[in-house]
Amino acid sequence: MAYVAARGGEQAILEAENLYRELLGTLSLERVKTIEETLPYLLDRVMGEASIYAPELAALAIAQTGGELYESVLLLRAYRSTQPRLAYAVPLEQNALKTVRRVSAAFKDIPGGQVLGPTLDYSHRILRMEVLRGENITHQTKPAAQPSDSSFPALAAWQRQAGLLPEIEADQTTASEIPDVTREPLLFPVSRAHKLQSLARGDTGGILALGYANMRGYGAVHPTINEVRLGYGDVMLTHPSTGVQFSAGQVRVSSSEIVTNFAGNPQDPRLELGFSATLGWNEVKTIAASMLDLSMERSNHPSQTPEFVLYHTEPVEASGFCIHFKLPHYVTFQSSLEAMRGVKGERQKAKGERQKQSKPEAESSVALEEAIL
Amino acid sequence: MRLSELIKPVQDHAYAFLDEASKRELRRKILKGICIPGYQVPYASREVPMARGWGTGGLQVTLTLVAPHSTVKVIDQGADDSVNAANIRRFIARVAAAKTTTDTCQATLIQSRHRIPEERLLEGQVLILQVPEPEPLRGVETSSAAAAELHADADYGLMWLKLYEQMVRYKRIIQGASYPVLVNGRYIMSPSPIPRWDVPMLHQAAHLTILSAGREKRLYCVPPYTEVRPLEFDDVPYQIEDVRGMVCFRTGAAHKFMNELPQADGSSLFELSDSGYGEKILSETDLGDTYYDDEGRFYHAGFLRN
Repeated sequence: MAYVAARGGEQAILEAENLYRELLGTLSLERVKTIEETLPYLLDRVMGEASIYAPELAALAIAQTGGELYESVLLLRAYRSTQPRLAYAVPLEQNALKTVRRVSAAFKDIPGGQVLGPTLDYSHRILRMEVLRGENITHQTKPAAQPSDSSFPALAAWQRQAGLLPEIEADQTTASEIPDVTREPLLFPVSRAHKLQSLARGDTGGILALGYANMRGYGAVHPTINEVRLGYGDVMLTHPSTGVQFSAGQVRVSSSEIVTNFAGNPQDPRLELGFSATLGWNEVKTIAASMLDLSMERSNHPSQTPEFVLYHTEPVEASGFCIHFKLPHYVTFQSSLEAMRGVKGERQKAKGERQKQSKPEAESSVALEEAIL
Repeated sequence: MRLSELIKPVQDHAYAFLDEASKRELRRKILKGICIPGYQVPYASREVPMARGWGTGGLQVTLTLVAPHSTVKVIDQGADDSVNAANIRRFIARVAAAKTTTDTCQATLIQSRHRIPEERLLEGQVLILQVPEPEPLRGVETSSAAAAELHADADYGLMWLKLYEQMVRYKRIIQGASYPVLVNGRYIMSPSPIPRWDVPMLHQAAHLTILSAGREKRLYCVPPYTEVRPLEFDDVPYQIEDVRGMVCFRTGAAHKFMNELPQADGSSLFELSDSGYGEKILSETDLGDTYYDDEGRFYHAGFLRN
């Protein structure tokens, strides 16, 4: 028998993949379309973490992996990473978003009003068993007597006017000069651009876990949600020859602002703002991420340390490293085993020699040595 | 002339998968790494169609260097047919149409996880090691910003202290794989989790070694004929794994790094970890010179003091 054939992994891995795909059944355009039409929030989550807005591709990724979300995100990231960067869009301003939902916990009413929009916040979480008995359920909303505006200023803008938040200069960096975490390594100390980008493409579950840790008891700040926003943003491009700006399409986006009281100088206390935005509608992620943004570098607690937070909420890297432990490690294991056996062998030898000597003096030095160890 | 004739046919991906911009960045970073032996060069590290932690750093380097005339060998734990090595080799062959081999002497590019082949690599060959943790100081300094400063100052006291503490606790240095080395007298480097047996192979080697961590986004290099010294105290020489008495049950080879195969009766069998080398012995192919001879002597006389 040939040496290599004794293990023969190649055929085995092909068949293991076949089995996974066979169990999922036929991959079809119809299946992809159904996922795209019926699971928009799942698509949003995956697109946000993959940082590519492409609902059809996200549906394909979900279909191809049978809903293994880390795998879906990796598929999209691997596709995205090799696409050329053709143009830079104009930055999206909050007040230019076509906003369908914007709520604030900081004030009862805010300029533009509270707009509930689509939400499950006040739904009764009851399984609709009648659907399983064959009943179809459709819902129809009643139009409001007075339609709300389609766009609203950021609440932070009002707070700046009122002197509650410090005035800031708008960053004039051109889009092509903004550090891009998908084209450069994340380095520490981290730039704010890389921080916000990393949070935007962070793992929803990971961001929630660390954000929650800050909210619950490891944080230095008491958060209040300034606003949570869901909307549509126009991807505005500039025509290369005419210079005319035009919309290349709309993307679903969500953003959150969180404020804390008594920040800064005790003589002149101010509010302080945490912010986060991501592609797709993902409220829990942007709330937790804006909490992390606000808490960053307030103490040495890991949940407030940029390196700890940003490295460990990276979905592709975290999940990949976690599952890599399934790979064989017998060389490294053998190497440390050899070292451990060496130590054990030395100990045995030393013990044997000690037993040969019967001087009480030697006994006590052995005991002392063992105590130190 | 028709417009359609001027348009290149659509391809699903570039040659060797990575787009040219990514490859250019990697080539530049590799050149920087070669110029500053042992220094960790940050790079963007694109996602590739394989999970992070599964050799994506090594893969990006291989995809950057591979050409249709290349001959590629991929090993994991020393074995060519280990499932992940087989998968990476299949991917490289698929996107780069390069030849593949299991023979170390035939390969122009060798991508490896956790091992250096037993046969000596020669000038012109490139060894690409997959790296899980590029920062040798991680165990003594968790902040990468602080670790970068320690490297800048060549302030390696903590590392020496770590080894000293092992001496105090265990009367020997218990570091298994990933034994820290000093490269070109300047940077402490993790040689990747190769066993201590393999570490001396990096010293004054004829070949180029590129170490690449995809997840951690760092690569570093050992250029040919560079000093690579494992950290050792004057009175505590560096120790390779003790393989004396181990004989490969398939080939009869000895004084090479071995896999231990536990047997039901409580004993162990041993086999060569380098499967390509074992294959050559069995098929009576001409063997290349090895780093350790059949009596276990390392080819740079005097380098190992023990």
